[in-house]
Amino acid sequence: MALDSFPVSVTVRDGTLVTITPMQPACTNALLAFYRHLPEEDRRVLRDDVTTTDWAEGFMRKVEAKEVVSLVAKTGGKVVGEASLYRTLRGWTRHVGEIRVTVAAPYRRKGLATHLCSALVKIATDLGIEKIIVQVVDNQVGARRIFEKLGFHKEAVLAHHVMDIAGMKRDLIVLANDVSQIWAAMEAANQDYAPHLG
Amino acid sequence: MAKTEIRVGGLGGQGVILCGSIIGKAAAIYGGKHATLIQAFGPEARGSACSAQVMVSDDVIGYPYVKEPDILVLMSQDAFTQFIPKLKPGGMVLYENELVDPDGHLPPGARAVGVPATRFAEELGRRLVLNIVMVGFFAGVTGLVPIEAVEKAVRDSVPKGTEDLNMKALRKGYDYGRQQATLNN
Repeated sequence: MALDSFPVSVTVRDGTLVTITPMQPACTNALLAFYRHLPEEDRRVLRDDVTTTDWAEGFMRKVEAKEVVSLVAKTGGKVVGEASLYRTLRGWTRHVGEIRVTVAAPYRRKGLATHLCSALVKIATDLGIEKIIVQVVDNQVGARRIFEKLGFHKEAVLAHHVMDIAGMKRDLIVLANDVSQIWAAMEAANQDYAPHLG
Repeated sequence: MAKTEIRVGGLGGQGVILCGSIIGKAAAIYGGKHATLIQAFGPEARGSACSAQVMVSDDVIGYPYVKEPDILVLMSQDAFTQFIPKLKPGGMVLYENELVDPDGHLPPGARAVGVPATRFAEELGRRLVLNIVMVGFFAGVTGLVPIEAVEKAVRDSVPKGTEDLNMKALRKGYDYGRQQATLNN
């Protein structure tokens, strides 16, 4: 799935039509507004302070440098969700991508996060990324379920690894999806040794 | 009764058999025709000569072996050298133009159309989908099977998770094939 396949319109479970587009510089303020409207309890489990202009500018620089592929979900001109694929373009983890996703509370449990993450998994596969990871805090049960449905499994638990903005420590769970298997299956299909056919 | 004999040729690992299988599946399962597939491969998993014989017909096929192909789909020079003498007079050669050079060896009256399928596949991110570009090219140039039927056959034949890129590869080959068919008419 390439970025030129977007925008994509999806209907979420309550019938709302949501448009998913790649993040553009023009959307920076709308994204910032989305994050600033998130309740503090949601922001507790985010890795960065996403309410600052510094963060937004740095994030946009990474998008432009192709270190981050970001998809934004909008309805009625407002951002209601954002999902990003972080990657290192060089070094020993250049085959690994990491997904981060945030959806506004009224749009949760409606399939929007699944649409966003599923699109990012396809983008990652097409970019040649072989392994995708996602980090969830132990109490993010819904997020964990979404990723498990997309083929992720628990790979590591880092005990008391996360300290939220209220100072509380929680376990960090690393989920992983080895998408290299997908293309290994295509390679197998192209083996030209198929006694079961013809 | 319209019967078309097709020979797909290349090297093991290029997906020659899958290419033939998709054409046959598109015709027989999704295109309302009859089709047969016979394959031949060398003892090595990769790099040995490999070919698929596909017969597509409006009627039941009684004899599935391709003796004199109407269409050759070629992905290696060796396959070209091996199969070109058998091409039916006035037949068509569809070839990967970075891997096959037909110059000076085409029988009189034969029509040859090339496609940079390897380059297209690499531009899409995976050289592995070269065979699917060739399937699309085949559909675009020959019009033997509707593209909708070929799309269904590709979706049905490729591993889960690779559908999107394979569909793009198919479309790329098909569009190029349509373009070439228009130019040559």
